[in-house]
Amino acid sequence: MSYVDAGYAAAFGGLFLYAVTLVLRRRRWERALRMSEVPAVEADDAAAHGERS
Amino acid sequence: MSAVPATWRPRWLTVVGVLAVVTTAFTVWLGLWVTPPDVVQGNLARLLYVHPAVATVALYWAGGVACAGSLLYLWPRTRSFFWDRLAASAVEVGAVFSALTLVTGSLWGRPVWGVWWTWDARLTSTALLLLLEIGYLALRRVPADPHIRARRCAVAALLVAIDVPIVHFSVDWWNTLHQGGTILDPGFELHVHGSMLWTMLLSFVAFSLIFVWLLAVRYRIEVLEDAVGDQELEVSLAERWSEDTELVGAGSGTGGSTPGGSAP
Repeated sequence: MSYVDAGYAAAFGGLFLYAVTLVLRRRRWERALRMSEVPAVEADDAAAHGERS
Repeated sequence: MSAVPATWRPRWLTVVGVLAVVTTAFTVWLGLWVTPPDVVQGNLARLLYVHPAVATVALYWAGGVACAGSLLYLWPRTRSFFWDRLAASAVEVGAVFSALTLVTGSLWGRPVWGVWWTWDARLTSTALLLLLEIGYLALRRVPADPHIRARRCAVAALLVAIDVPIVHFSVDWWNTLHQGGTILDPGFELHVHGSMLWTMLLSFVAFSLIFVWLLAVRYRIEVLEDAVGDQELEVSLAERWSEDTELVGAGSGTGGSTPGGSAP
């Protein structure tokens, strides 16, 4: 592999890998947000129930 | 419910992504197959369709956004977490571009200069930029109140930004092995011509579009992280509130079993 090929591979390969990790991180956080919204609603219900009792 | 939508795929981001892929493909095609070899450097000049553009993004685009975002956060009239998140995103993306600047520069320097690395002013100040960016990212992970963390990081980003003009002017201020301006000299005279010039300009467009896309996705992650943190805090507070009210209810029902007669 020449220095030119290595340079192109490093630049575009590095950016591609970083982009993939960003997309995966975004997906994981979106899933975490969806998961956290469900208990939040349940906790609100529980709090409202607690206030009533 | 959270005010942050769980999915966010704006059309403009898709357009930027597609344009980035197309311009990058053209840059690679022109850079590797269409443009002629240089008279002095031969095929090694093809690395100049990558390295200067990557360095420009690392230095000016990422450094500029991080500096502007931090200043706008610190300015009381424009203070908003939007600027803090934007600056943090720019620093992380900038760190990736800074690392690639050093790698592609080394791959060019080894055959042209005969060394992978030398303590040249331009190289050293660029390495310092990467270290400062890593320091900023480490500081951001230190647990703190969001306002304190944002203020602390804004000051740190301004320290990172101080290095940007040092990197830029390093080839003028010191005698360096690194060349001066790649496209323009200080008298604004062009060094590059014809297809080599157009390919180089296209590479600047391609890497700038990649930067915008990466910055937007990274910013979205910052928003999601904060939203999930807020949700978890709300859940914890709601659970705690629920436990407290149940305790009060139980205490008043039994004539007061808590030491003080009733919970505070």
